Amino acid sequence: MTQTIEQAVDYSKLKVVATRIFAAPRALVFRMWTDPAHVARWWGPHGFTNPVCRIDARAGGAIHIDMRAPDGTVYPMSGTFREVVAPERLSFASAALGDDGKPMFETLTTVTFSERDGQTTQTLEAKVLWLTPGAERYLGGMEQGWMETLERLAAEVSAQ
Amino acid sequence: MIRSMARLATTSDAFNAVAEPQRREILGLLSHGERSVNDIVEALGLRQPQVSKHLRVLREVGLVSVRGDGKQRLYSLAGVGLKPIHDWVKTFEQCWNERLDRLAEYLNEVQEQEKSK
Repeated sequence: MTQTIEQAVDYSKLKVVATRIFAAPRALVFRMWTDPAHVARWWGPHGFTNPVCRIDARAGGAIHIDMRAPDGTVYPMSGTFREVVAPERLSFASAALGDDGKPMFETLTTVTFSERDGQTTQTLEAKVLWLTPGAERYLGGMEQGWMETLERLAAEVSAQ
Repeated sequence: MIRSMARLATTSDAFNAVAEPQRREILGLLSHGERSVNDIVEALGLRQPQVSKHLRVLREVGLVSVRGDGKQRLYSLAGVGLKPIHDWVKTFEQCWNERLDRLAEYLNEVQEQEKSK
């Protein structure tokens, strides 16, 4: 049996990094993430609305957003803030659900804001945190080890 | 986009397989080249039945493949099994990009409104 190896797949990317520069002071950009009235206006894909948007922007505080698709389907998102340092940095964790409706893993989203000459550089990093019992020891240093494993995987796969 | 985030049916198996820390260790070892069960047992200090069980799970979801017979069976990575995970990350990335586009547009609106005050 032969298996197709997907050459284009970059297995090292088990996280997403997105940097944006806004012509706005960072206090304002930060508020876009912590004021529910603002968040409700931009969260989700184009055409979606957010009829429920609750944000308690402090460490341990909850974030809950119900995204409503143009066809009326509602996609709820719940999470917890890990860190909120106005106007520099915030992070929150939320669960990704599998087909059985149970959490498969958490995603940790960290957003940092830096200001220079009235412009704000916003860097977003969203990555997978595994929930498996015993996985705690893999967070921190071991999480890095796993990223390296994936990079080696990528090299291995390309070499074949 | 969000719809595909909600529809993760095909990815759970691969994600569940990879979520287990010992299975990630096995994948890490195999990323250096093919290994026999005994190689894995020795390298990771795990028990043989446990390793065999993990390898069976990894094979079932297409994360590793095997060649040879009996004690000569050698296990190696199968890239195809990681594709569902890659696809999920890709969708996740597109979701964030679309959301951030909207944030940029909305931020412009807010600033225009503040200027006209």
